[in-house]
Amino acid sequence: MYKWFALKRVLKGIFTYIIIIFIMSVLFNTVNEQTMRASIEDQVRAESMRLKNMQPSAIQRFQQQRRDELIHLYRLDRPLLERILFRTWNTVTFNFGKSTIIKSSRGERDVITIIGEAIPRSLILFTLAAAIEIAVGIILGLKKAQKPGGTLDRTTSLLTMIVYGMPTFWLAMILIMFFVYQLKIFPSAGMHSVPPPQGIMYFIDLLWHMTLPLLTLLLIGFWGVSFVVRNIVLSILQEDYIMAARARGIPENRVLFGHTLRTAAPPLITISVLSLLASISGAIIFEGIFSWPGLGNLYWIAVQQNDIPVLMGDLAVTVGLYQLGLIMLDLTYGFMDPRIKVGGKA
Amino acid sequence: MTFGDIKYRLNEFWSEFRKERSGLIGLGILIIALLIVIFEPLILPWKDVNTKWRSIDYWQDNSANAPPAWTNAFTKLKAPVTMRLEDAKKEETELDGGIKLVTYTFDYHYTADKAPLDVILHITGHGDIPFQVAIERPDGETIDLAQRFEQGLSGQDIRLSIDNDGREAAFTFVKNYESQEALEQFSGKSLRTADVLFNIAQPGMAKEFKPLKGTYKLIAKAMLLDPENSSVEEPYIVVTGSVSGILGTDDSKRDLFSGLIAGLKWALLIGFLTSAISVLIGVMYGIISAYFGGAVDSVMQFVYQIVNSMPVLPVLIVISAIFKPNIYMLILVMVLFFWTGSVMTVRSMALQIKEETYIEAAKALGAKKSRIIFKHMVPILIPYSFASMALSVPSAIVYESSVSLLGLGDATIVTWGQILHDAMQGAAILKGIWWWILPPGLLIAIMGMTFAFLGFSMDKILHPKLKTR
Repeated sequence: MYKWFALKRVLKGIFTYIIIIFIMSVLFNTVNEQTMRASIEDQVRAESMRLKNMQPSAIQRFQQQRRDELIHLYRLDRPLLERILFRTWNTVTFNFGKSTIIKSSRGERDVITIIGEAIPRSLILFTLAAAIEIAVGIILGLKKAQKPGGTLDRTTSLLTMIVYGMPTFWLAMILIMFFVYQLKIFPSAGMHSVPPPQGIMYFIDLLWHMTLPLLTLLLIGFWGVSFVVRNIVLSILQEDYIMAARARGIPENRVLFGHTLRTAAPPLITISVLSLLASISGAIIFEGIFSWPGLGNLYWIAVQQNDIPVLMGDLAVTVGLYQLGLIMLDLTYGFMDPRIKVGGKA
Repeated sequence: MTFGDIKYRLNEFWSEFRKERSGLIGLGILIIALLIVIFEPLILPWKDVNTKWRSIDYWQDNSANAPPAWTNAFTKLKAPVTMRLEDAKKEETELDGGIKLVTYTFDYHYTADKAPLDVILHITGHGDIPFQVAIERPDGETIDLAQRFEQGLSGQDIRLSIDNDGREAAFTFVKNYESQEALEQFSGKSLRTADVLFNIAQPGMAKEFKPLKGTYKLIAKAMLLDPENSSVEEPYIVVTGSVSGILGTDDSKRDLFSGLIAGLKWALLIGFLTSAISVLIGVMYGIISAYFGGAVDSVMQFVYQIVNSMPVLPVLIVISAIFKPNIYMLILVMVLFFWTGSVMTVRSMALQIKEETYIEAAKALGAKKSRIIFKHMVPILIPYSFASMALSVPSAIVYESSVSLLGLGDATIVTWGQILHDAMQGAAILKGIWWWILPPGLLIAIMGMTFAFLGFSMDKILHPKLKTR
């Protein structure tokens, strides 16, 4: 049954997520508590500033009382294990607290708002890039597999290896230097012009700002995709039913897109999701070069401002998105390839 | 497995590998890179780059943001190249009263179309010494530029910058040629000394620079008032040009070529260590997981999946931001993520090998588990992991440079990522300082390409299925 398989996979994903967050809570416990104590001190000081006409001793007593209250509220007076579990639970329920310096576009200090603003910006960039990457990669891969060892196959395979270790952020720098400051045809940074235009121009403006980041991801990404597509398709093309289809006189394009691609679909989906996940796990900081205000850029800002709550929240959300991608991967895979659902009986 | 076996298998591998052209190119680049690392002290133009990359004094004689010297080939007005003059003619003359005058004369052949930025004399002295610097131009004029009296020296480096110390003398020199009205527009401060010294002496010289090409004699005089207890040694002159070195300089006046060469060994170290350790761990993990099976396998697979479902770079960034690890700790952290790469393939292969009859025979003979694993399984599976070892080198290098790009790198070494970080900080993109951005990333990409060439070639040999029809 597919729904049991799906439920099992989702539950397993959530469980894995909780465990990862737990490990991180243990790892970063000290620094988290330091920031928390510092923010409690700030709050107590701010509150006592508001008090007027009070004896110094009374102020001190008030401060001590507030401090104890807050420490108790955040459970900093509890045993170590309980503190870690409490923090794990807070993180899993997206209760990240307040940032120390960074503010959201409306000036709020809630970490979840700051990150919530960044998520769609990152997603739109990375998913669009992955979609184009897959389209180009599949077409190129099919062409490569049709004539393995041919000129196209060999040159593109060579290019695949050349860009294999090329850092995305560096390509971004080079593209900016060339297209923005030499040719002056693209904006250097950001997501919108200031002020953002209205109506249809808004989207055109967005696309215009997105072109260079997309181009960067594509130039690095689609070679690898086409290389893997080639290998998958190549092994399918050797199957008997392809030979049979060709023998029946079915046009080559229909053999490729109808017969081959259907069989190749599950692994192709894996690759597309995996390439999306790979860019989240490896290239996300390239956003910082373009000042694209997504999750990757948030790492830059949080590191530079030393804003620990935002850094932690950003990490938790990135891990969560990654986890979500892995779950989606298995679900679609199971949907496309019924053989995978072996665990469905349980 | 005996030595003969290894030799036989290596020979077999080599005869296959020889046919892969890209693999050979990769091997060639790798050997060149290793040679550069070995002969690094001979190649480095700035010998102390490894220890003094962040020292300000060490680089102070260079010019900031200077393009590479070879860019002169593409420009109409040739810029002077930063040069270090060390061959001095030394003359010693006895003066009255037991005073000894030591004169060093340097020849500087000036052929560029622009003036150098500065001429700097360095000399090491002992005792109380008055110094004097003069320049003899090709047209016969001699200008006394600067004087300085240093007392109580004990081997310090004396630095005389003509741009600073010779400004008044240069202004006096201009006065001889310029009319009073023209001079009123200038003061001693708005003139650059070198612009005067290398200019043709004529009216209008304060406004316009016309290079007087030829051989200049730079004369440094040191008076040893007490020759018994004072001495001077190791004089050299740096002519600071506006182009410099093989790959130019950055905004802290550092020679980028030296930095890149020094970064090569770190890139290789990071790549090799991370990939080798993590692949070894991964192979052992896969074999143990497959061999023992059952509960052990379940637990190990669970751990594997947990690690495998963490995004590497974000975690790496946060760990670096909080713990500020040094380079070896960073490598260790990367190993903690990288070992998963080869586990699954190894595990499935080990599951097949486990069922082979010779393993059964070994068991029947009473061989211990460790013996079966290390004698019969590891030697077969290790070669297969070489490909994944090579293929994970580039990602280790890129991850390290990403972390360094954020300014979280190890501050005691020089890596390519740190140079790129400095370039970002110095707004090199905006200013178009391409020699600061292009080479470091290109080197990372070339290293990646090298190991991709090696890895893909080995992959083809070790997994023959992927071969073309």
